[in-house]
Amino acid sequence: MVWHSCAGQVASRLRCVAPMMSITHPQYRMLVVEDESTALAALKKYFSKQGYRVEYARELEEAEAMIITAKYDVVIADLRLSWSYAVEGLEILRFVRHHSRGTKVVILTAYGTPEIQRSARALGAEAFLQKPTPLPEIADAVKRLLERS
Amino acid sequence: MRSRTLLQEILAEGGLTVLFQPIMEIGKEKFSIFAMEALSRGPKGSNAERADVLFEYVRRKGKESDVDRACAAAVFKASESLPACCSISLNVHAATLERDRDWPEFLADVCGRHGLPLNRLILEIVEQQKYTDPERFFQAVDRLRRAGVRVALDDIGLGYSNYRMLIELHPDFFKIDRYFVTGSSQKPNARAAIESIVLLADRLGAQVIAEGIETEDDLNTVRELGIRMAQGYYLAPPASIVKKN
Repeated sequence: MVWHSCAGQVASRLRCVAPMMSITHPQYRMLVVEDESTALAALKKYFSKQGYRVEYARELEEAEAMIITAKYDVVIADLRLSWSYAVEGLEILRFVRHHSRGTKVVILTAYGTPEIQRSARALGAEAFLQKPTPLPEIADAVKRLLERS
Repeated sequence: MRSRTLLQEILAEGGLTVLFQPIMEIGKEKFSIFAMEALSRGPKGSNAERADVLFEYVRRKGKESDVDRACAAAVFKASESLPACCSISLNVHAATLERDRDWPEFLADVCGRHGLPLNRLILEIVEQQKYTDPERFFQAVDRLRRAGVRVALDDIGLGYSNYRMLIELHPDFFKIDRYFVTGSSQKPNARAAIESIVLLADRLGAQVIAEGIETEDDLNTVRELGIRMAQGYYLAPPASIVKKN
């Protein structure tokens, strides 16, 4: 192949960029949706050590963009992602049910009223856990769901 | 809570990174660069570093116009270091042309500030949703065309980049999506679709650009189908600009 005209000039000013993500061995892919940095860091660290491929989102729209562009085995979502009374976790649950039926969803919340819990179950949440739930208990719940599938 | 939303990080100074990928003229003996497509990426280390996540997120936020403006500013700043011999191809959401009334003036202004004549600019229209105000959309396209900007329709064959859009928009360039191109030597149906797009482009007076050239077979296939411009990793991957003093 012969490069012509300004190709040489252009090529000299370009630096190749490595692919942004590399796929490693097959493992469960997890999305953690949590706006609170400490909780997010703890979940990421714990589940990564358990061998999950952990990705994260901090906002509803960010989570939706992640779910629509990738396939996750499990989503762990905080019920509330803001200081308002919105229940973004249920929005995420609805979104997963619409776009990624096989994905398991675990909802975490510090504000779990029986009504919200019923709504989550009705929308198809596989697990609804009250905060603070110890990380090993969350891991057990996730493991059971993935074994069932 | 994090101090800033992802959108604020994207729109902050330095939040966007620009890569360029050449669109090549694929002659039998010689290849030359026809244009450089500017590809924006979100903040390093964030999910928006992936282009698909970046633009899906922006669409869900309804902030296409704000982010398209930020992308354009970042692209023209980065393209100052490119030689003046090739055109710059910039992606823009159809929603931006429809909703952002001042987009043509903004574009002219920012191009002027960076010394880029508008006739070196190709606007690649990304159509992810059905437009609600076609009149406003086509008015914006007409104003840009009168100023010398050429228009490409991206992702042809998929989504809303369909026959109706081709006829109504009358783009200067048809960009055939990689879905049809990559591996097309082994897919007779994909080749048939490409052939029909080439024929349509010819009848409508447009040029065709094949995206997703990943192998020599892909290149030979599109060439045999009459395509003279192409883009893809086999020809040149996206790359960032290295500034020279």
